[in-house]
Amino acid sequence: MDMEHRARAGTTAALHLRLGSFRYSEAHSDALREIEMEFSPGSLTVIAGDSGSGKSTLGGVLAGMLPRPGADQCEGTVTLAGQRIDYSPELSPRIDIAGWARHVGLLPQDAGLYLSRIRQTVAEELVFARENEGMPREEMTELISELSTRLSLEHLLERDPAKLSGGQERLVALAALSAAKPSIIVLDEPLAGLDSKATATVTAMITRLRAAGTALVVLTRTTEAWEAEADALWTLADGTLLPASEGTGTAALPSKRRRPSIAAASAEPLLAFAGVQLGYKGASAPVISNLDLEVHAGECVGLAGANGTGKTTLLKAAAGLLKPASGKMRVAADAGMLLQNPSDQLFERTVAREIAFGLPKKSIQRARVPLVLEQLGLESYAQTHPYELPASARRLVALATVLVREPRLLLLDEPTEAMDSAGLQILHEVIDSVFERGGAVLFSSHDERFISRTAHRVHQLS
Amino acid sequence: MKRRIADLHPFTVLCLAVLTVSVATAASRWWLNCAVIVLCLAVGAVAGKSRKLAALSGAIMLPTLLSLLMIHGLASQETSAVIAVWGPILLTLGGVEIAMALALRTAVLVVAGLLCGLLIDKHQLVAAIDLSPAPPQAGYLLASTLFLLPQMMEKQHAIGEAQALRKAGTGRGLAGWLQRLRLRAVPLVLSSVQDAHDRSVHLAARGFPARGEHSRLRQVADSQIQRGVRWVALLCSVLVPVAILLPLGGAS
Repeated sequence: MDMEHRARAGTTAALHLRLGSFRYSEAHSDALREIEMEFSPGSLTVIAGDSGSGKSTLGGVLAGMLPRPGADQCEGTVTLAGQRIDYSPELSPRIDIAGWARHVGLLPQDAGLYLSRIRQTVAEELVFARENEGMPREEMTELISELSTRLSLEHLLERDPAKLSGGQERLVALAALSAAKPSIIVLDEPLAGLDSKATATVTAMITRLRAAGTALVVLTRTTEAWEAEADALWTLADGTLLPASEGTGTAALPSKRRRPSIAAASAEPLLAFAGVQLGYKGASAPVISNLDLEVHAGECVGLAGANGTGKTTLLKAAAGLLKPASGKMRVAADAGMLLQNPSDQLFERTVAREIAFGLPKKSIQRARVPLVLEQLGLESYAQTHPYELPASARRLVALATVLVREPRLLLLDEPTEAMDSAGLQILHEVIDSVFERGGAVLFSSHDERFISRTAHRVHQLS
Repeated sequence: MKRRIADLHPFTVLCLAVLTVSVATAASRWWLNCAVIVLCLAVGAVAGKSRKLAALSGAIMLPTLLSLLMIHGLASQETSAVIAVWGPILLTLGGVEIAMALALRTAVLVVAGLLCGLLIDKHQLVAAIDLSPAPPQAGYLLASTLFLLPQMMEKQHAIGEAQALRKAGTGRGLAGWLQRLRLRAVPLVLSSVQDAHDRSVHLAARGFPARGEHSRLRQVADSQIQRGVRWVALLCSVLVPVAILLPLGGAS
């Protein structure tokens, strides 16, 4: 590691962090403060927190990507692989990120960012880091075979990484990260968007990595899925760590009973598919065949199915972005769609401009912008750039751009991904408001609790 | 045959293209230029790329030919035979000959270059550079350049979908196209910059660009014969033009 300010340290932990404070450049307050933790080989540390609590910032510090020299302010010490790095307001050592990543690997919340996008196949993407280290081809082939078997990725190896579904992308990114074999792996929301099979596969992989001596750090919205396995459970709130038992309560889903079933849904469906085949131009096979589905006013229908079974494709077709190759599709209401990745839906300079985008200047809809900001709790962000918002708020902004048009048919693609408890509460209220104006909701999700509490019925895709 | 062309090492295709262009340009004979263009189109047809090659070549060469005709055919001051007269503008035989000669010379470069672009798989080319003794930064630079456009195309498609969801940029015809261009341009640039910023730190963490010894999983087929052909082609692309041009230089 190329660290200008370092000293030998006497610790057996794989990484020891003592952080007095961390503040982003031009920020008015500290993003992290008074944090001390260490990660032993084979340990599993779970850090839970709401959106904006500083989880991703902490992940960046652990991965050596933060602080950025000459920009962010940091005070503290990191001891990694027997070497100590001191940060102070006067001295922020320049970290060799590639060297650091040999010890600490980070899977970001938006897993797609981990993929290089300059390799043609998933197989090449898996060993991208090892190629840059000069690993012989035979060893890379063995590594790919081992990883793909463990994570059931055999069917994806020859696929283009840019054309994977959200869940597949996360799985491939995780496999690529573990292929680099760092001694500490930091995973930011590793189970988001994964189906139950992939979740079990990832959990098994984590167990195996721990057995091999890798220290795992999981940054997550809720500790629920990790409580049985974790060696340490922490809650991150307002930039400070607390033991999970003392925390202010991490983002569990709002305790709400299952949505009451609709007594009499209208006879005429708002959305109807009959024997529909959906696919993409140039693809060898359709994504969905013989789809029969009706969604009536007053109904909330959940779409379930493994990663890559066409949930997003179906929603895009309902939104009018994709025409069926065959069969009959009828959409009898205005449709609005929340995309899986909110960043794909945001392109204006401020939140207020974003929500008003495309609306005629003197329209009723434009007059609704302040109301929608208030409904989604975004008033304080009205003049903020959408990219500067925490993930949950960014998703709500994307939702606001849909709601401002008051669609009767609301289409939601993985709406709970990266959403914190406050955001989930708002999401439930939004769904209720659609029913109040005689609409319907169709959503895809891998979040079984959300599905069971929200959907009147579930359509399974295979 | 198609398979054989596809299996050629990218450097072999490039070396043959360099040889063809340099010899045709140095010789400057209309029949040789025509022969090279026909040969390129034939190779394109065998490789199954003829329509794309013809369309792209036409899109570049038609405006080029028109501008050359305007400069040399209509505005030429030379006094050769006049073909047509429109007031002060003269279309002379000499002007047309010069315009056609320059257009043919340009066409050789365009058609051969486009054929290279269509025949060479960009992933194979980057892998070939990575596996060659060239510095790792060369592969990095090429990858950044070659993959930028497809990535921006993907991104503008995603932006287009998001805007269509908000009923923006859905107009038809030229006006609709111009509106889409206006609506997508700024978001495309801003999101591309943001994406590059977010992705670069992870690329660096994965050791890209490599600073020392590196390898590739992808194999690029090569042979002793192809290596020989490349050396001969490179040598000839220097020696043949020199041999063609030197006597002319001595004569003048």
